[in-house]
Amino acid sequence: MRDAYLVGAGQSDYGAFPDESYRSLFRTAFDAATDSVPNGIGPADIDEAFVGTLGVGGRQLGLPGPAVTEHVGLDGVPCTRVENACAASGFATRQAVQAVKSGMADVALAGGFEVMSDMSSDATKYWLGVSGETEWERLSGTTFSGVYAQMASAHMEAYGTTREQLSRVAVKNHANGAKNPHAQLGFECSLEDAMGAPVVADPLNLYHCCPTSDGAACALIVSEDVVEEYTEDPIRVAGVGAGSDTVGLFQRDSYTGVPASQRAAETAYEMAGVGPEDLDFAEVHDCFAIAELLAYEDLGFCETGDAGEFIESGATELGGELPVNTSGGLKSKGHPIGATGAGQMVEAYKQLSGNAGDRQVEDPVRGLTHNVGGSGGASVIHIFEKETEVSA
Amino acid sequence: MTGAISGVGAYAPRFRISADAFEDAWGQFQAAGVTEKAVAGADEDALTMAYEAATRALEAAAVDPATVDWLGFASSRPPVAEEDLTARLGEMVGLDEAASRQVFTGSTRAGTRAIWAGLDALEADATTGLVVAADAPKGDPDHGVDHAAGAGAAAFVLEGDGPAEIVDRAEYATPYPGTRFRSTGADETQALGVTQYDRQAFSETIGGAVSGLELEADPEAAAIQAPDGKLPYRGAGAAGVGTDEIQAAATVHELGDLGAASVPVSLASALADGYESILGVAYGSGAGADALVLETDGDVPVESALEGGESLSYAEYLRQRGVVTTGPPSGGGAYVSVPSWQRSIPQRYRLEAGRCPECGALSFPPEGACGDCGTLAEYEPVELPGEGTIEAVTTIGQGGAPPEFSEQQARSGDYAAAIVDLEGPDGSETVSVPAMGTDAAPDAFGVGDRIETTIRRIYTQEGVTRYGFKIRPAE
Repeated sequence: MRDAYLVGAGQSDYGAFPDESYRSLFRTAFDAATDSVPNGIGPADIDEAFVGTLGVGGRQLGLPGPAVTEHVGLDGVPCTRVENACAASGFATRQAVQAVKSGMADVALAGGFEVMSDMSSDATKYWLGVSGETEWERLSGTTFSGVYAQMASAHMEAYGTTREQLSRVAVKNHANGAKNPHAQLGFECSLEDAMGAPVVADPLNLYHCCPTSDGAACALIVSEDVVEEYTEDPIRVAGVGAGSDTVGLFQRDSYTGVPASQRAAETAYEMAGVGPEDLDFAEVHDCFAIAELLAYEDLGFCETGDAGEFIESGATELGGELPVNTSGGLKSKGHPIGATGAGQMVEAYKQLSGNAGDRQVEDPVRGLTHNVGGSGGASVIHIFEKETEVSA
Repeated sequence: MTGAISGVGAYAPRFRISADAFEDAWGQFQAAGVTEKAVAGADEDALTMAYEAATRALEAAAVDPATVDWLGFASSRPPVAEEDLTARLGEMVGLDEAASRQVFTGSTRAGTRAIWAGLDALEADATTGLVVAADAPKGDPDHGVDHAAGAGAAAFVLEGDGPAEIVDRAEYATPYPGTRFRSTGADETQALGVTQYDRQAFSETIGGAVSGLELEADPEAAAIQAPDGKLPYRGAGAAGVGTDEIQAAATVHELGDLGAASVPVSLASALADGYESILGVAYGSGAGADALVLETDGDVPVESALEGGESLSYAEYLRQRGVVTTGPPSGGGAYVSVPSWQRSIPQRYRLEAGRCPECGALSFPPEGACGDCGTLAEYEPVELPGEGTIEAVTTIGQGGAPPEFSEQQARSGDYAAAIVDLEGPDGSETVSVPAMGTDAAPDAFGVGDRIETTIRRIYTQEGVTRYGFKIRPAE
């Protein structure tokens, strides 16, 4: 199969924007993505589009894809909405990579959007946790904070992971997000702040939970046959992996890991021919602090059970051996559900093209993105690498 | 002899509120003789209390539920005014679909009316009857009916022979409108409060019923209808008993007015205490009364759970009862239709898991590919006994609940949400199930703790209350 390349990516600010619609946010992201392509790209170049959204609020439950791609002038291109909860646009990106690798498209757009802040408090409640298993898990009284809190309780029991270690995820990601102008919660927080916040679902407190967000993000994937038209410094999609699992946590073999992420990582590392030790940075799905710690273990950044000590060691801070969530992650940057996966591509693109500003990792060659749907019912991983650096 | 009781169950919710708490709130307490009373939790109603009492009675009698061929359910306040709840109650306790069922309501005398009907059924062709009376009266917050209103349930297994024989019964009715009534469509029970008229209605009817008995009753204990803690004693003369005998069976002082369950719970209490001759006299407004005489050798199996656990302030009382909450939010993202809930009733009520025919592993719910070996095959139904261990747990705080539970959380506060490893029938195999905690504070649920299941209200949507299992710390 042909190689696929990431030649541009951009996003809107993440946050709450009463003056914006899902279409205007998507347009901002689309413009930012096309503007980021070194040699330029136009709507007419794009052969196909994949758009991720959960559909929060029911603002356009059917055909949300064409609703945004037509808005930005992708006139008549094949467009598919991808829904895998919080991993919607991570999977949209995977679809774009598949379309390009298969030869059916030379240029594919992968994007995503969500608007979550404009609803009444009643309506918001009804859209909370709709990606959990509905009949049994939700109706035992949980939304996602509850399910991840259950995972945290099991991890703490099994490995002695502490609330302080959970809080360190927030401290690190806020420190990074404070350096990201697109971040929704772009401020630093102290360990005291992060430990003393009100409890949401014990053991998780407010600082262990990402916010709800409005936002959009887009990434542009092209084939090896056309990549030279767009850039002299190509970033290759070196590896892609994905997995799925039962939607309800209670039906899984493990509550202290995410098997779908483990499967996705194995596939992605094998395709890329690399291991976790070869990564220079990673964007992982930290919807809750425990999720980032589980990701360390599922993706092989540390041994099973050691994630608490791993965050404590500082290894995943900016400047550490493997910086994680330099963008601020879902915690600080924000989590507009359908946009989150494509938003991770934006950070990967910025880091690898040297445009990450104050949070730039020094001369990165290879980075990973990890996007999880629900509590682990779907997971998708991409590994990107700078081809010139690898071949040099 | 007209029939016998072979097993008794009694239940009262764990919440209590004292007369003092009412006096602090109102400056006075209008339920004379009640020192404290039981309060149903936000996830309890007459049906769930009936389940609690009925399972205990069946266990006490050591009767296989499938052999029960007559069920009577009595409550002056069933959770729905129209719809036969015995279909659900029967399934909750494991009755055969062909068992005969009757609902008794409209009166605080409904509990003894159900005993009557059960005895009549035995005299016809029934072999094993189950009578369940459960009630939680409700009035306007500033009314004596509400001040007295308690909550509780009792259940009796009736058979032709048994350790407690019902040796005589009689009834009496004569018109006395207005002593206690609830108009069609109204939620609160009212009483005009014409003191002497009310007392006359009470005395005349219970006196009429007792004098209709063929036997000369000389009971050690007398279970007299107790709308408050004073009225039963005023009926002592009419019932031909002393206040000591009434005191011996009284539950009103600690549990409050139990409505249609008043006399049944007092009978259960007297049987648990080993009294050998007991008179029961129930009164229902309208007015009418039932009198029955029990004789026993003092050895009747009783499973009783009438002790209180947690004291409520008056504000908490109003919250638990939903007086000061606004109901569930409108909207709709996730939705479980009534038909899909109905299909899951064997799992919700009876913990029916499935055994994989290929590998033998248990699955819950029993549908889809086997979680262990992946085989797509028809599961063999396996009922789980309802005991297990917590594997993962959290406390859902204010605002963290799905909207289906917003009203419950507004009423009863934070709750535990857990994944529990439930044991199979032989104890060696287990299957994981998500479940909400009840009957204890959230911090009573920790990883590794032992739990048991019960049945409670899960949530109400589109006017239909869905019932299902929850977990509580193991007894």
